[in-house]
Amino acid sequence: MRRYARVAWRAWSATIQAELEYRVNFVLALLTTLGTMAGALFSLALFYRNGFALGGWSWSEVELVIGFYTVLDGLHASLFAPSHIKLSEQVRDGTLDFALLKPVDSQFLVSVQHLSVWGIPGALLGLGIVAHAGITHEPPLAAADYAAGVVPLLSAVAILYAIGFMLATTSIWFVKLWNLTIALQSLLEAGRLPISAYPPAYRAVFTFVVPVAFLTTVPARAMAQGDARDWVLASAALAVVLGVAARVFWRRALRSYTSASS
Amino acid sequence: MRAFAKKLRVLLAVQYAYMLEYRGEIFLWIVVTVLPLIMLGPWMAAGASGRFPLDEREFARYFVAVFVVRQFSLCWVIYEFEGLVVSGRLSPQLLLPIDPAWRYIAAHVSEFASRAPFVLAITLVVVAMFPAAVTADDGGWLLPGPGAIALAAIATASAFALRFLMQYSLSMGALWIERISAFDRLQMLPYLFLSGLVAPLEVFPERVREVVLWTPFPYLVWFPARLLAGGDVGPPARAVGIMLGWSLAFWVLMRWLWRRGLRHYSAMGA
Amino acid sequence: MPPIVTVAGLTKHYQVAEKAPGLAGALAHFFRRRYKAVLAVKGITFAIEPGEIVGFLGPNGAGKTTVLKMLSGLVHPTAGTVRVADRVPFAREKQLLMSITLVMGGKQQLIWDLPARDSYRINAAVYELDDATAATRVAALASMLDMAANLDKPVRKLSLGERMKAELIAALLHHPKVLFLDEPTLGLDVNAQATIRTFLAEYCRSTGATILLTSHYMADITALCQRVLVIDQGVLRYDGSLAGIHERFAPYREVSIELARPIDRAQLAGMGEIESLEGRSAKLLVDRSKLTQVVARVMGELEVTDLTVSDPPIEQVIAKVFKDGATAAAAPPAAP
Repeated sequence: MRRYARVAWRAWSATIQAELEYRVNFVLALLTTLGTMAGALFSLALFYRNGFALGGWSWSEVELVIGFYTVLDGLHASLFAPSHIKLSEQVRDGTLDFALLKPVDSQFLVSVQHLSVWGIPGALLGLGIVAHAGITHEPPLAAADYAAGVVPLLSAVAILYAIGFMLATTSIWFVKLWNLTIALQSLLEAGRLPISAYPPAYRAVFTFVVPVAFLTTVPARAMAQGDARDWVLASAALAVVLGVAARVFWRRALRSYTSASS
Repeated sequence: MRAFAKKLRVLLAVQYAYMLEYRGEIFLWIVVTVLPLIMLGPWMAAGASGRFPLDEREFARYFVAVFVVRQFSLCWVIYEFEGLVVSGRLSPQLLLPIDPAWRYIAAHVSEFASRAPFVLAITLVVVAMFPAAVTADDGGWLLPGPGAIALAAIATASAFALRFLMQYSLSMGALWIERISAFDRLQMLPYLFLSGLVAPLEVFPERVREVVLWTPFPYLVWFPARLLAGGDVGPPARAVGIMLGWSLAFWVLMRWLWRRGLRHYSAMGA
Repeated sequence: MPPIVTVAGLTKHYQVAEKAPGLAGALAHFFRRRYKAVLAVKGITFAIEPGEIVGFLGPNGAGKTTVLKMLSGLVHPTAGTVRVADRVPFAREKQLLMSITLVMGGKQQLIWDLPARDSYRINAAVYELDDATAATRVAALASMLDMAANLDKPVRKLSLGERMKAELIAALLHHPKVLFLDEPTLGLDVNAQATIRTFLAEYCRSTGATILLTSHYMADITALCQRVLVIDQGVLRYDGSLAGIHERFAPYREVSIELARPIDRAQLAGMGEIESLEGRSAKLLVDRSKLTQVVARVMGELEVTDLTVSDPPIEQVIAKVFKDGATAAAAPPAAP
């Protein structure tokens, strides 16, 4: 275990150093995060300024959803997306072979190979939004409410990782699909709004097909609306199932991997 | 001119064949653009509440139109150009007697062509899911007429041209800064929120709408979608004027950046 | 000592999508995919002892890289057995992975934007080397390759040769026992190639490592390999020493003649295959058994100012092997 921690730490600090070379990116990432948050709040405001309550949720509750969305988006942009994109590139260039020949678990290696520090401000900002929403809520949320959000949030992170990783793995079969992470991101945009805002058909899709519901709505519900116990359990179970599925899928992909010819 | 047309035709054919190789990818590209269909849901509910200038049906029409229009005006040239510069493949491109931009335009156009059958199929599915988009209040069909389609087509092509110019100008930054695609995420933001992608301009606050209509963004999505869905787009001369104005401005910017950028690029050892 | 690599009946088939040319073909391909089985490797058998440096020679598409990838465990064989250090490579057990390495010409494992040293640090963690050992090894390898100054520059700023050397350091950090090198000198200038060859020979000598090498460059093979496996169209055509190739495939010698006066072809009739004839210089390929006869005839019938007898260039011999192999493929295959 120590060995794995050491590898992860070194891979991450190396890629962070590589990124720090591009200082402009820091400003950009910050602007992008702020801009995304402003834009999301703006598009929500378009609903609420006429007195319309999306899916019956109050403004603070919807703000919670935005907060969780921003946290997950930031985590995805920093922890998951860069490695997954690199994985697709490696399949394309034939350099995945190197990762497969290292005496460390290959899934681990390709998952930690690139950390992008620029997504982290987004994740922190998201937590800030969650806190703000909790404070301005009527009544303000208690510590127990915040605690209730922890398990669903962690499950959401695991679900996001598993889905992203499985999508990246498919690049072993579909070589040109470097844009799968973007595809995922598009579907996840639905997570900006609470699931109850969508018509029933969508809700089914966002619960069973692309589990967006578990990413942002469930944590927000657990915090602000209290009656979410079943959802939280389902969320944790889904995280485990998808985690295992990602592993199995990766092994299967490796079996059929034939490296690009020289 | 004929030689150029021939080059373009060959480029198109090659790119089209290339696209056919990667069918799965095309399907996924369409998934990437599914946002308008997602936003359709809550806005229809909002429309039904009666608190907004558009009703349920009109929201449905609008977002379906946005979906269709967007399929044919997407632009990803910044990633391609950045890839070209970073991997050093730009240099051989510079030696060809055709500006590299044309290669990308050909690539985009052939992608649109190869995507057309998928788009049609998905649109039919969407319309089946939301019949409100194509029915009138009295229950009859309300499909866009040939005039609307023609206008929308021209507007979409212009929107693509404008978007391409905007993104391509930004791509020139790759000649100085290698990882220019980070900027793309930033420029996506006004595109996402101000172009009518997440909400039609009609629901914007009055003052905001006035200001936004002077930016190029609404003309990339809202304008062609409005033409297709039917509705008021304001004085057409103003719209055309603003689009042309921005296109020209970006074209000038792009040429200037291209020249300066090439100098910088070759100074660094092309 | 048991062989470190054993291969028996190794076979690999690939499924490749087949497309008719032109737009019509592309459309048909879009709706219905047709697959063709490509036989990349057909029943290859050999064994390698520890410490050997073995070269795989063959034209493009012969199957050499596929064999190498099956040996390193990256590609699963369709049939046959392969064992490296008494383990099945495809199982990718940790112990095996700690003792092998792969280097691919034109591809790299180093992180592009960072100095090579940072990539080495990650590798050190992966291969469980403590920092002191890793640093010592990096220093030793770097001095052998004359790279000490270049390890702190971002990899993207190095020249191709320097990058390959940095790549070698990364690959050898954990002192592997078996090295799989796939065209390691690809695209390098002559000096870099020479440096790397000397380095590899020295590394092998000092650590007793086994090297399996594929290359297009005959110079790599002649400089490094005592043993050569010739693979053509997936079949092993020859397994033995480099010198042996001459005897097996080219049982002739090259006779170079300098003449006092220009001659024409007719005067060389019957002496052997005329390789070249330009004015006063001629090269003949003469059957070994007839060598003394031909030389005597040449000396007797022509006015010779200089005469040299040598082995034909190995490139030519190999090229001829492949050419004969290509024509043989059209005919029913003979016994290997």
